[in-house]
Amino acid sequence: MKKNSNSKTCALSLWKKLRIMRYTLFFMMVCLSQIFATNLYSQQTKLNLSMFNSRLGNVLDEIENQSEYYFLFNQQQIDLSRVVNVSVKDKNISDVLNAVFAGTNIHYVISDRQIVLTTGNNTGDFSVNQQKWKVSGKVTESGGQPLPGVTVVVKNTTIGTITDINGNYILEIPNGTEQIVFSFVGMRTVEESISGRNAIDIRMDEESFGIEEVVAIGYGTMKKSDLTGAIAQVKADKLEKENPGSVQDILRANIPGLNVGVSTNAKGGGSLEIRGKRSLKASNSPLIVMDGVIFFGELSEINPNDIEQIDVLKDASAAAVYGAKSASGVVLITTKRGKESKPTVRFDASVGLSTMGVNMDVYDGEGYLDWRQKVQESITANVKPGEFAKPTEENLTKYGITLDQWLAYRASSGDAEKDWLGRLGLFETEVENYFAGRTYDWYDASFQNGLRQDYNASISGKNGGMSYYWSLGYVDNEGIITGDQYNAYRSNLKLDAAINDWLSVGVNANFQDRAENGQAVDWAAQIINNSPYSLPLDENGNMVIYPMGTNTGGSINSMFDISYREKNNVWTTLNSVLYAKVKLPFNITYQVNYSPRWVFHNYQKHESSQNPYWKTLHNGLAERQSRKNFDWQIDNILMWSQTFNEKNKFEVTLLQNAEEKRQWEETMIGRDFSPTDALGYHYMKGANMLKSEISSNDYRSTGDALMGRIFYSYDDKYMITSSIRRDGYSAFGQSNPRATFPSVALGWVFSEESFFELPAMNYGKLRLSWGENGNRDIGMYDALSNMTTGSGKYPYVNNSGQAYEMSQLYVDRMANPNIKWETTTSYNAGLDFGFMNNRISGSLDVYKMETTDLLVDRKLPDFLGFNSVAANLGEVHNKGFELSLNTQNMDRDNFEWTTSFNFSLNRNKIVHLYGDYMDVLDDEGNVIGQKETDDISNKWFIGHDIGSIWEYEVIGVWQLGEEEEAGKYGVKPGDVRIRDVNGDYQFNNEDKVFLGSSSPKFRWTLRNEFTFFKNFDLSFMMYSYWGHKSTYDRPLNKNGFLDRTSSYIIGFWTPENPTNDYARLYSDDKNLSARFIREKSFIRLDNISFSYNVPEHLIRSYSIEGLRIYGSVRNVAVWAPDWDFWDVEQYQDMYDDNNWKSGPSPRIFTVGVNLTL
Amino acid sequence: MYNKINIATIVFLLVIAGCKESWLEPDPLSFFEPGNTFTTPEGLQAALTTCERNMRYCWYGDGAPIITELLFSEVAVEGTTDKTGPAQDLNKLITPTANLNSADANKIGWFWYEGYKGIKYANTVISRVGTIAGLNEEVRDDMLGQAYFHRAWKYYHLCFQFSDIPYISKEITTPKLDFKSTRFEVILDQMIKDLEFSVEHVAAVKDAGHVTKGACQHLLAKLYLATGQFDKAIAMASNVIDGGTYSLMTDRFGADKSNAARNVVWDLHRPANKSVIANKEMIFNVISREDLENSRLSTELMRQAVPFYLCSNANKIYTPTGKTGLSNKLAAEEDLRKLYGRGIGRARNTWYHTHTIWDDEEDLRHIPGNWMTMGELVYNNPDLKKANDPYYGKPLQLRDQTGKVLTSDSIRNWYDWPHYKVYIEDPKKDASESYNGGASDMYVYRLAETYLIRAEAHFWKGDLGHAANDLNAVRTRAGAAPYVAGDIHIGTILDERARELYWEEFRHVEMVRISYLLALTGKPDENGKTYSLDNLSQENYWYNRIMGKTEFYNKGAKTVHGDEYTMSPFHILWPIPQGAIDSNSRGRINQNYGYDGYDLNVAPFENIEDAVAAQ
Repeated sequence: MKKNSNSKTCALSLWKKLRIMRYTLFFMMVCLSQIFATNLYSQQTKLNLSMFNSRLGNVLDEIENQSEYYFLFNQQQIDLSRVVNVSVKDKNISDVLNAVFAGTNIHYVISDRQIVLTTGNNTGDFSVNQQKWKVSGKVTESGGQPLPGVTVVVKNTTIGTITDINGNYILEIPNGTEQIVFSFVGMRTVEESISGRNAIDIRMDEESFGIEEVVAIGYGTMKKSDLTGAIAQVKADKLEKENPGSVQDILRANIPGLNVGVSTNAKGGGSLEIRGKRSLKASNSPLIVMDGVIFFGELSEINPNDIEQIDVLKDASAAAVYGAKSASGVVLITTKRGKESKPTVRFDASVGLSTMGVNMDVYDGEGYLDWRQKVQESITANVKPGEFAKPTEENLTKYGITLDQWLAYRASSGDAEKDWLGRLGLFETEVENYFAGRTYDWYDASFQNGLRQDYNASISGKNGGMSYYWSLGYVDNEGIITGDQYNAYRSNLKLDAAINDWLSVGVNANFQDRAENGQAVDWAAQIINNSPYSLPLDENGNMVIYPMGTNTGGSINSMFDISYREKNNVWTTLNSVLYAKVKLPFNITYQVNYSPRWVFHNYQKHESSQNPYWKTLHNGLAERQSRKNFDWQIDNILMWSQTFNEKNKFEVTLLQNAEEKRQWEETMIGRDFSPTDALGYHYMKGANMLKSEISSNDYRSTGDALMGRIFYSYDDKYMITSSIRRDGYSAFGQSNPRATFPSVALGWVFSEESFFELPAMNYGKLRLSWGENGNRDIGMYDALSNMTTGSGKYPYVNNSGQAYEMSQLYVDRMANPNIKWETTTSYNAGLDFGFMNNRISGSLDVYKMETTDLLVDRKLPDFLGFNSVAANLGEVHNKGFELSLNTQNMDRDNFEWTTSFNFSLNRNKIVHLYGDYMDVLDDEGNVIGQKETDDISNKWFIGHDIGSIWEYEVIGVWQLGEEEEAGKYGVKPGDVRIRDVNGDYQFNNEDKVFLGSSSPKFRWTLRNEFTFFKNFDLSFMMYSYWGHKSTYDRPLNKNGFLDRTSSYIIGFWTPENPTNDYARLYSDDKNLSARFIREKSFIRLDNISFSYNVPEHLIRSYSIEGLRIYGSVRNVAVWAPDWDFWDVEQYQDMYDDNNWKSGPSPRIFTVGVNLTL
Repeated sequence: MYNKINIATIVFLLVIAGCKESWLEPDPLSFFEPGNTFTTPEGLQAALTTCERNMRYCWYGDGAPIITELLFSEVAVEGTTDKTGPAQDLNKLITPTANLNSADANKIGWFWYEGYKGIKYANTVISRVGTIAGLNEEVRDDMLGQAYFHRAWKYYHLCFQFSDIPYISKEITTPKLDFKSTRFEVILDQMIKDLEFSVEHVAAVKDAGHVTKGACQHLLAKLYLATGQFDKAIAMASNVIDGGTYSLMTDRFGADKSNAARNVVWDLHRPANKSVIANKEMIFNVISREDLENSRLSTELMRQAVPFYLCSNANKIYTPTGKTGLSNKLAAEEDLRKLYGRGIGRARNTWYHTHTIWDDEEDLRHIPGNWMTMGELVYNNPDLKKANDPYYGKPLQLRDQTGKVLTSDSIRNWYDWPHYKVYIEDPKKDASESYNGGASDMYVYRLAETYLIRAEAHFWKGDLGHAANDLNAVRTRAGAAPYVAGDIHIGTILDERARELYWEEFRHVEMVRISYLLALTGKPDENGKTYSLDNLSQENYWYNRIMGKTEFYNKGAKTVHGDEYTMSPFHILWPIPQGAIDSNSRGRINQNYGYDGYDLNVAPFENIEDAVAAQ
């Protein structure tokens, strides 16, 4: 129990309280600071005590058990074994204590629920050494609140004291004392040089990576020192100054092994993946749990400002309590609660600007014509000298031809310049604009600087047994794509009420109303496909839809349609938890959670018949879709917690859970409105019913679970956690409705052993775990064969020539009634360590995960009429290594510097697939063995990474002089040269080779935080993915229609530029889908933040508790040595030919102010 | 006291949350399950509708599958000359691993994949129709007969496109990956047996779009023909021709009936006329209507079949004065777009198709008004008018006075086409340059083809007189002079099919069937050459005829993009898509000669019993 071997004092009873209350330590700290709290509690709380010949310690325990009081005292001063007699009935605390301490020198001070016991005066004094002088001062926490109960000792002695309830201390120190040490659980220990001073005030910071944090573990919390699993934590308040715009922003780069994807639109967000890909078909997203209840919503529903901390359960044993849903790890989000009796009001406002984080140049007018000349020269067979050159005097001379000769190349005899533009393929409209000198910058028009606004207000507090937290937030973001817009209102209300000493109830309601109404322009089409000589407006100033004058090559002015379209896309969600908690005898607690969730989605769209194209297409189209989702869960949780002989701690948790998800959705699409569609989607009745559609899509799924977990620790040195969970889910309900997932984990705090002698290392713990987790994340009806009427009907014609429609019906999916859970079995070994009083601390984990019965879409022979069937096949292994390292590099009065560094690597391998074997032949064709066959169609290979790239290898570009050899492949100089592995001048699967993987070889993140002059904070964070590759088709120069569009400015082969990195314009790969391979390694400087805490003395007179001004820049810079196309991290889809997913990422500048009253 | 209350509460909550198995039963709400839906005649009718809807795609949309059938024949070549990818350089592009299912490549893979999907849809009915309790026997057999028709229609095409293929004759409900190919003759024989049932039980008169007895008879006649059973083919075709239900249209009818400038051939191919009761020639149609939004499909026929004459940029058509001759702009006074459609020249007609086969100027199928020549178009570029160019509004010329060709892409921009077949109004595209061709019914089977089937059967038997009679029935209806027996050889029949059945027949399939029959019967082709079944992929009539009749493949013809038209004899059969071979991981689907993977072939099933047993 003694955490600091130098100290003879400890707030002994606090620990017990922590076990019982299971609130975060942070919460406790603030409770401690309630020094000006009213004495309401002490007046109202009545105690009954009847103890004879009892030890004082037992009496204090009993008072703690009966009440919420807890005692703080110096163990050396208070003799706990003293026998006392006490008999009181319905007395308040002071009466009781007067009775207990009658006749002793023990004094007590009551502050709210905290009672400090001292002897003599109010500072502890347990040293009888010669005293030369006194040092005194005040200890506060980072928020400025006084910190009582802090141990203050002369370094390397037993001389010390504790601070009083005002945080003050007086310590008499012997001569020659150089340093005193301030320590308190949950706070970073401070060693202070005295340097002749006798007044030393200390601010103690919360120890965010310390070993004594309280961590959410699923259906409960636990001290971090008791953990046996691999759990990582991030405290949201640490990141406040970075102004995270989403939950993903909080998580990004702060948890080793958790990879957060990027999202570049106004809404933000990103995907989550823990420790690599395990599943081929099922989702790899972790389970989200909010305030102890499984969260079915999307992360945007949670306001990052409401978050207190996030814990991530990475290994199987930690996650196993969530059984069937936990194979991809678990993210536990804990939101804020009211803590202080005084109402705390916080207001946070920030504004920001999204700007282009990366640009890709496109051609201007002149460059465009030059490039198009090259295009024509490349795509035309037998180019004549100067055929596509501008017919200027100079050019004609250069090619040694006359103008007449030049004209005679074509049947042209008219205006030579005009004919030249025609040869380049310019459309009539472009030619007109060229001669009129009109150009337009489509790039500039497609992107914008987006304004971001984020306002949040919250009020929280605690009054009697009631704590409350209520927040309201509004976010309004514009993206970097013109027209991209998002806004949301979010509100979070949390009430916890202790009705009496055995019953508490609470409600947590999380509301969101979000509108995704933005209509972003089709930037990808506009900047590439529209030439600089195409304009969005015609000569009369009216918008045109096809700027090139014709519908070709994907050219579009997307504002044209947008101006005729009205859209409303709104989600309203309410996630709520209602709970009741009952204290039962024998330290048993029972809790029931009922958590209903509602989602209302309204989608309305009107495409006006005023648009001439839509007039003929559908004469007005209006769509309304409304959806309601209602999901509920119920958790019945029994917890028992007991300590025997002070050393044997037991905790047992039992869970029973049930869930149901339902959806009701209806859609109507009306077309051909009469008399008019002027009322848009508000008057569906005007639609022509023959051309309209109605449809519905409802679903229902169910699940249930039983779970038991036991934790045992001996002497805080040895601990074991074991759990078992049995899950049921209706998607597997035909043959395998239920499955069982066990786990066991061991922990050993070896630094507590007497034989452990490594002075530099103050803490060391080994963890070992094994467990099984399930993945159920497939479509809820994937096991069933479905009959569908497909999209649309089919007409017949009757005798009188009248056509009528009938529904079709076909089986769309092959049934697999035997489908079952995918199971991941994991092994994890971890080491938590702290050196030099935790100035260096961190943890190290190695793991191996074996996923079996993989849920896959097994490819079927396509002539069955089904492409695939959901099945359980194969095995995938992941193994990896994670290191997290936190160092306190500098800790001076006016300068602090801390660093945290995470490193992770994961290796992934497909071990088995379908169990089909093929013969292995030697060179003579003799069977020498068998091997399991790969799934070539899905590009899954036994023994290889899921992300393996298996393609033809582009080894360069055919050069001049190699015509003959290139010709054997039907191509010519400038086309890509593919490695012909077997030299047969044919390309098939035998010529495909492994060219790397799309999974990074390793990732690291680095965060540095500085504090100057106590009030200035500066931090920067960078992260890196390294060693992954991607297929890349841009260098083939054959995307789209080069002879009728513009282009990005990227390299291309010409006889004058004989590069091997880019093919000629419109190169020919004989439809082989050849791809270049590019390395995607990058380092991103993701965040620089700065904040200034306005000093207390400047604001206190205005009754302001805290005022902070901050600024940050996100996505500051990226270094990707081998990548030159938009944002490297966005280029995800290696087999997506269009690459439309790739694009610019925003760089976001934010400034904000945070006010606490 | 409260202890008891709490324990009671716990027990209560545990009970209501429930742990019963029934709690976890899957509960599909918005889709049907085969088990209960296919137990009614309505459910099975909807399954048949799926077959018909699937069949329809062959003729519709951008790069419609039937175009690939035309490109692998002597009537058309792929004319999109601005890129590599379209099926021009067949030696390079037609491989098992190449892109075989794209408008910008070809639709070989589409025929494979959608063909088998159609078979799946038909098999659903075939496997389940017998299980419906209380179903009227007549209704049951009619439905079964229709399903047999659909399955046979798909297999007929697949067999002559891909030869030996997997045979699937029932609904497959569990994963199966060990298929083997079955000899195509075995499959054809089974299809004949099935259709013999169909012609007995499918009703003769139904709403247009449904499979009728006539459709079954027509297909059965074709199958008899394909398997060398010529007498049966004649008898079955005669059932259709003489059955009283159908007759060739010789008089004006339908929507344009009163328009004296038109004629019966024009009437036959008007969208509004294809499925009317007055049209006695229609045997089986697929349906698509402009005003039925939930089922309409655009034919896009003009986009595919009309030359790219409206090209106004790179490889345009010049006036003899050297100006851009044509404009695609909506503002153009001479709105050629709406008169003839805006083509992109994907299915580029060959000289054989536009000139060689037309031996009678009176042939309605080739007269001005029905058949368009480039010279009937006029220069419409408004700039010409502004500049007072003398050629504005004047007919297009291929050459100027000096003989210089006035376009640099005569493959894509300059050829003639059957306007009466491809002209389909596109009201949805009134305001768009892409006036591509809207919704229209399309003929699957028309009595004219039944005559040509019987003509062919007579020919194979050596009865050239009767063969000539049947050909002449089709010819004379179109106003062309009749043939005499001495004119008849296999080439004459293919010529007549080309004249009559453009964009209706699957030209490549029919040519392969004839090539097979030449080898099977040992009869010489029109050039006196004979063939053998042993080496049909090396030496065949299909290849020789294309080489003899067209001026593109293997003659050095190149597109402006530099791609050369090439072809080999083994292209008579298409490659089995590699994906089908790879995904059948426990068995071996055979590849055709000439394609990569052929050497891994195993012996196919040689009789239907083995093929059925192996499913």
